[in-house]
Amino acid sequence: MRPETREQYRIAVFALPATLFMLVMMAIPLGSVVWQSISDDTGLSLAAYAKIVQSNLFIRVTRTTLEIALGATLVAFFLGYPIAYFLAKQSTKRQTIWLIVILIPFWTSSLVKSFAFVVMLGHAGILNTFLGELGLGPYKMLFNRIGVMVGMSHFLVPFMVFPILTNLRSQPPELAKAAAIMGAGKFRIFRTVTFPLSLPGVVSGALLVFILALGFFIVPKLLGGRQDVMLSSLVDFYAREVFDFQMSSAIAVILMATALLAAFLLSKVRGGASILSKESS
Amino acid sequence: MTDSMGTVQEMVRLDAVTKRYGSFTALHETELSIRAGEFLTLLGPSGSGKTTLLNAVAGMATPTSGRIWIDGRDVTATPPEKRGLGMVFQSYALMPHMTVFDNIAYPLKVRKISKQEIRKRVSDVLELVRLPDLAHRKPKELSGGQQQRVSIARCLVYNPRLVLMDEPLGALDKKLREQMQLEIKRLHNELKITMIYVTHDQEEALNMSDRIMLMNGGKAEQIGSPHDLYFRPVSQFAADFIGQSTMLDAKILEVGDPCIVDLGASGQCKVKVPGANKDQGGKLVLRPETLRLITNDQIADGFNALSVRYKDSLVTGSTIKHIVELENGTELIVQELTTPEETAKRHEGRLLVAWPVEAGIFLDR
Ligand SMILES: Nc1ncnc2c1ncn2[C@@H]1O[C@H](COP(=O)(O)OP(=O)(O)OP(=O)(O)O)[C@@H](O)[C@H]1O
Ligand SMILES: [Mg+2]
Repeated sequence: MRPETREQYRIAVFALPATLFMLVMMAIPLGSVVWQSISDDTGLSLAAYAKIVQSNLFIRVTRTTLEIALGATLVAFFLGYPIAYFLAKQSTKRQTIWLIVILIPFWTSSLVKSFAFVVMLGHAGILNTFLGELGLGPYKMLFNRIGVMVGMSHFLVPFMVFPILTNLRSQPPELAKAAAIMGAGKFRIFRTVTFPLSLPGVVSGALLVFILALGFFIVPKLLGGRQDVMLSSLVDFYAREVFDFQMSSAIAVILMATALLAAFLLSKVRGGASILSKESS
Repeated sequence: MTDSMGTVQEMVRLDAVTKRYGSFTALHETELSIRAGEFLTLLGPSGSGKTTLLNAVAGMATPTSGRIWIDGRDVTATPPEKRGLGMVFQSYALMPHMTVFDNIAYPLKVRKISKQEIRKRVSDVLELVRLPDLAHRKPKELSGGQQQRVSIARCLVYNPRLVLMDEPLGALDKKLREQMQLEIKRLHNELKITMIYVTHDQEEALNMSDRIMLMNGGKAEQIGSPHDLYFRPVSQFAADFIGQSTMLDAKILEVGDPCIVDLGASGQCKVKVPGANKDQGGKLVLRPETLRLITNDQIADGFNALSVRYKDSLVTGSTIKHIVELENGTELIVQELTTPEETAKRHEGRLLVAWPVEAGIFLDR
């Protein structure tokens, strides 16, 4: 046996339990969802897909889902890029401290956070009370698009920050130095050197955030209004209220396919492949 | 370069410039004055502060104390983009997302020069560095030597009067290095720029410089012409760093012109030591090419001679290096020109090593 093959076998043995776990807990249920979506009492049937394409409800919810996902991606970009840029300028020690601060949202369940946002953003919530003191408002920030955006971006911004930060940190510092010596001011250096070079990181982050945003469930349900129903809620609706498992499976498959398409694009972006394999594990 | 008054113009002046990082001093109070049009090389081992000094001039590092003048202007607090100088990096620092043309056009666009003028100047400077026809390529599609030419072109295109180069040839192979050394010298002469050049390759420094500033531990060890540094090193560090040399433990026995120096078990010799003190200890530095192997009957006036044991010879093309051992066991390298009969009778009976009295250098630090 060649040494590489032996090494490969060794790795395979170590990976076996995880592989089995994923197979039982992920692949089989997913497979059964796909199967359910294309079968009914009479056998194979694409009836559910045909129904979906003609369903006004589905089309409206799909549009809402894409709108919210794109919106959340944009918000995450505009909030995340400055954070990443600021972090990249800090010393390694400070970076660690700031990263912990940024990661705090991850340590709280999104259910708990959503209730926290209700307290913050509600009609008599902290923010409106404060604005009221200043003679402003009250503003409606809950049970509408604003609430959804705030709740989602709070969770998603770190996913934008990390790929961009990784990119910014890997940019050779001489490039900005060289530009400065050639006479370029700070803003020109950012516009002509730092930002164009960071685009692969931006695209990676954007796709990642978009994929995650597509599947949000709790946040839009708790913080959104009647207009903010996303595809995941539609899956839930068909499964638990209409008991039409074929429809709900078909919608889930479509949602998954959209996410897979975005993931495929992500793997095509320079430097995106590594992010994908790191974050999805 | 001289102005109308006939006085030599000063391009760069460092006045007691110090750079500290925390409690570590990377550059100790340094004084330096560079003439306009001069080619000054900063030479020294890794960590000796060469880049620190260059960064201070470029404005990338603010001195902890001291002042810096460029072209008569105090630039100590001036940011790099306002200093108007040019810099070439070891890593080339070409913008990977721009073509060669856009890279070279960059400093011109910053200066808001018209498109037409930019096109003309870029093609002129590509001609100057002998790289026409590559304008549309991306840097990664070029060889190392070509990339370095582009980065030199980018630095020259806006006619800076002062150019800094930090080990620009460090990443190139020996042959290409030598070719680029000549090229950089040619550009320096043609364009009459002032150059501060960093290298840790002593041969490169000797080849190219008008003056060398030898650095050690954040201090200037010696500043002088290549000739000065080679023939009149002020310290054992300088003698060791530049050229090949053998150092022997030595002590002044008798002060005079020349002094008599004791080499312990190996014997005694004469050395010219201005301002010597009796019993002063130090090292005798001998350059291999000043040494000769001779026979007993060839001893001449004005030469020192010590008896040696022959050990080995290495032919390196035009020269031959003999390795011999002094009485006390110290090895000496003697370098002579290769001659046809050399191989046959090279060490027969030649049991003395000899050198002219003026060729020995006594250094007490
Ligand atoms: N930003 C910094 N923070 C702390 N120490 C530094 C910093 N930059 C340089 N130094 C230290 O200052 C000293 C001189 O560094 P410098 O880069 O000037 O050396 P150099 O002569 O250019 O060496 P080389 O030939 O390796 O490039 C080194 O000991 C280095 O560790
Ligand atoms: Mg250096």
